[in-house]
Amino acid sequence: MAGRSPVRGRQSLFMASSLDEAVSALADGGGGAAAFAGGTWIMRAPIRGEAPAAFHVGLGRIRELTTIETGPDEISIGACVTHARLVAALTGQRQFAGLVGAARGAANPAVRELATVGGNLCAAQFPASDLIPALMGLDAKIELANPAGAERVSVERFLEMRRTLVPGTVLTRIFIPRSGARSAHARLPMRKAGDYPVAIVSMAADLDADGSAHDIRIGVGSVEAAARRWPELEAGLTGRRLIPSEAQKLAEGSLAAFNGRDGIEAPGWYRLQVLPVLVRRAAEALLSS
Amino acid sequence: MPLAFDINGEERATQRDPMTPLIDVLREEFFLTGAKPVCREGFCGACTVLIDGRPMVSCLVPVGTVEGCQVRTVEGLATAGEPSRVQKIMEEHDVVQCGMCFPGMLITLTAFFRDNPNPGRDEIKAALVGNICRCTGYERLVDAAVALARGGE
Repeated sequence: MAGRSPVRGRQSLFMASSLDEAVSALADGGGGAAAFAGGTWIMRAPIRGEAPAAFHVGLGRIRELTTIETGPDEISIGACVTHARLVAALTGQRQFAGLVGAARGAANPAVRELATVGGNLCAAQFPASDLIPALMGLDAKIELANPAGAERVSVERFLEMRRTLVPGTVLTRIFIPRSGARSAHARLPMRKAGDYPVAIVSMAADLDADGSAHDIRIGVGSVEAAARRWPELEAGLTGRRLIPSEAQKLAEGSLAAFNGRDGIEAPGWYRLQVLPVLVRRAAEALLSS
Repeated sequence: MPLAFDINGEERATQRDPMTPLIDVLREEFFLTGAKPVCREGFCGACTVLIDGRPMVSCLVPVGTVEGCQVRTVEGLATAGEPSRVQKIMEEHDVVQCGMCFPGMLITLTAFFRDNPNPGRDEIKAALVGNICRCTGYERLVDAAVALARGGE
């Protein structure tokens, strides 16, 4: 896999034409090189007061990173699939309603044409990702390639690893097991659309014929510095009929699980205060899907 | 090594660093000053252009990623001097105020009407959430877009 890096001169961006080329160029660049997908986070580095990476390896021309593949047991999404393409490809499939809602609501239309799934996962300083809690709800696995080979990890594990990936690592695909589960995504931006959400609840569950819920997975985003599951609420809802108002009450009783972050758009306490309502809305949407 | 791409139907090339935002190349090198660099964060939409037919904020697009692509700016919307139907309806409804946001509005609506020929008012508003108008001229603009959706010319 490794080989001489095809990097040109001292240019700050090299558009790789294959995954091997990208892994090789990133490994050669060491800690000073950064993978570049849609660019909506990296291009704003100057505004955040951050120094840009010395060298970027563009992934957008690597065909295998731009496809969505649908199999009988799982679907896989290339890291460079944009939010807009995700919406176009998965709309109408009940299991993925939450992910589609996340991709459709994020940012604004012109950013959704650029911003990618992989870039969203890798933006470690961005707390308000819509896709990450939705992917947690769907039990997605993240595939990483590096000079030593490839591995698949859970979304939760990836979030732990993402600041310390070895040079030469490329997030290649996201795998989601197919199931009969339903999913829904509830978010609260301060404007109706076009803002970062103050809080996000993404919920997935299997519903039995009697309405009882199993395999519930709830991802919470934007409330803390990184998205995470809500195991206390998942346990409280498991095996019971999913009733939105009761889910809201259960959520109110387990808010101590979170430590809300203060931010420009909202203080931490407010993010917690709106969470139970978002749980109710997600449950309502899930039941009506 | 020059980066070549198509701008409004003409082959162009630039020697700028490939991480240079497209908006800067368009304005400073090719003097296409319709698209405006305002927020440089992808929030305001004043720099929106079509890249291979898709509306994108050119402040967040490095020129190195558009090599070989077709870029269309507001200067390329008219055909042989004839304004596009989106441009015409905006003129008829006297929508333009200061003009800062307007090229981005036109680009967004051009792609939106191509993909959604008969949208409702709420769909039009949702399509424009990434185009901020500080003159607050939204209602007249949306009225014009609704008129276009109803078959106005």
